[in-house]
Amino acid sequence: MIAFRRSSTYITPLIFFLIVVTFFPLALGPQESLLSSLAPGVIWIAALLASLLAVETIFSEDFRDGTLDDFFISLEPSFILVFAKVMIHWLITGLPILVASSIAAIILYLPLDSFIPMLLSLLLGTSFMSLLGALGAALALGKSAILSAIIVLPFSVPTLLMGTSVITSSLNNQDFSGFLMIMGAMLALGIPGLCLLTVEALLLNYE
Amino acid sequence: MLPNLKVENLSCVRSDKAIFDEVSFDVLPGQNIEIIGSNGSGKTTLLRTLLGLITQDKGEIVWLDDAGKYHNYRTFECLYQGHQLGIKNLLTVFENLNITKHAKGMSQEDIYKHLERVGLSNVNEFASNISVGQRKRIAMAKWLLKEFKIYFIDEPFSALDDTATLLIEKLIKELNAKGCSFVITGHRPSGIEATRVEI
Repeated sequence: MIAFRRSSTYITPLIFFLIVVTFFPLALGPQESLLSSLAPGVIWIAALLASLLAVETIFSEDFRDGTLDDFFISLEPSFILVFAKVMIHWLITGLPILVASSIAAIILYLPLDSFIPMLLSLLLGTSFMSLLGALGAALALGKSAILSAIIVLPFSVPTLLMGTSVITSSLNNQDFSGFLMIMGAMLALGIPGLCLLTVEALLLNYE
Repeated sequence: MLPNLKVENLSCVRSDKAIFDEVSFDVLPGQNIEIIGSNGSGKTTLLRTLLGLITQDKGEIVWLDDAGKYHNYRTFECLYQGHQLGIKNLLTVFENLNITKHAKGMSQEDIYKHLERVGLSNVNEFASNISVGQRKRIAMAKWLLKEFKIYFIDEPFSALDDTATLLIEKLIKELNAKGCSFVITGHRPSGIEATRVEI
């Protein structure tokens, strides 16, 4: 409810994503072959940067207003609370990007056959980015907002490579399931691993 | 009657400087502890250490469980109210109370009743539009949602008018009668009956 009332949290990444994608046809011209060959990289880079725009907000407000103290003082497992925060972050930033990616695909002349692989790769990739973003946000808590994005960006390279490979493979009529499986495995390991690391990173702020 | 919490020779050192040293006290059911100290004397750090948010350098904190055994981890839920109060600006006064997990299953009327008890009638006002004193009253209403064994309240009497101060004293007395204890901090002794610990 709080996240939805703070409209800038989900509107800013969405607008950013669409603006970045729209700049490419404007800058490069409307050549269909060029834009469709660039589409996987453009969509993924825009999605990655957009999903990092709001990571700072995952814990900052709770830290400032003292709600984070309540999380750690309650006898509930902190892991569950962190996971819930990540899920909410994905719902307000990842999901709108996922929906907007269809518009981006049309702008960049991505063939219709590649829509499903693109959506699947973004579904797995943006979820993983929310987990990674939560860790960055926890490490940069109380510091500059851009710091969390800087911490996270180098670790997002595998997701970027896998995500673009899924769409490129589908464009070249190649099997892309292997890349999706790797992304799924990263997410499956990331949920427990990154949530636990995030809890530890948050606790560091109390010492 | 066994103490719910025993604190023995607790010390906390940061950057080679003792924040507090050799603090000891027991918290019996219905008893209050008032930690007195000047600004920067480590009152907040002590409360956070007791609750496990900060690790102590020396000493022991032991908690009583329902079977009458002591453990070095917390065995029951406590209420902590720090300086920040945990109030969300984007929620109304009512919503701030309603979203807490202890309000789960409570009727709207019950929540209104608690808010009325602490003198809040503007239940649909956003928390961003209310005064510091009124924010403290929302935090006080949270005390009434559940009877906790121990309430840890950081400077409960700061930024309050006389009416609110009297209300806090009354609430603490009422909760003490039900066996609840308070560990509070302050710069000088307050009007409540408590064992004072100077740091």
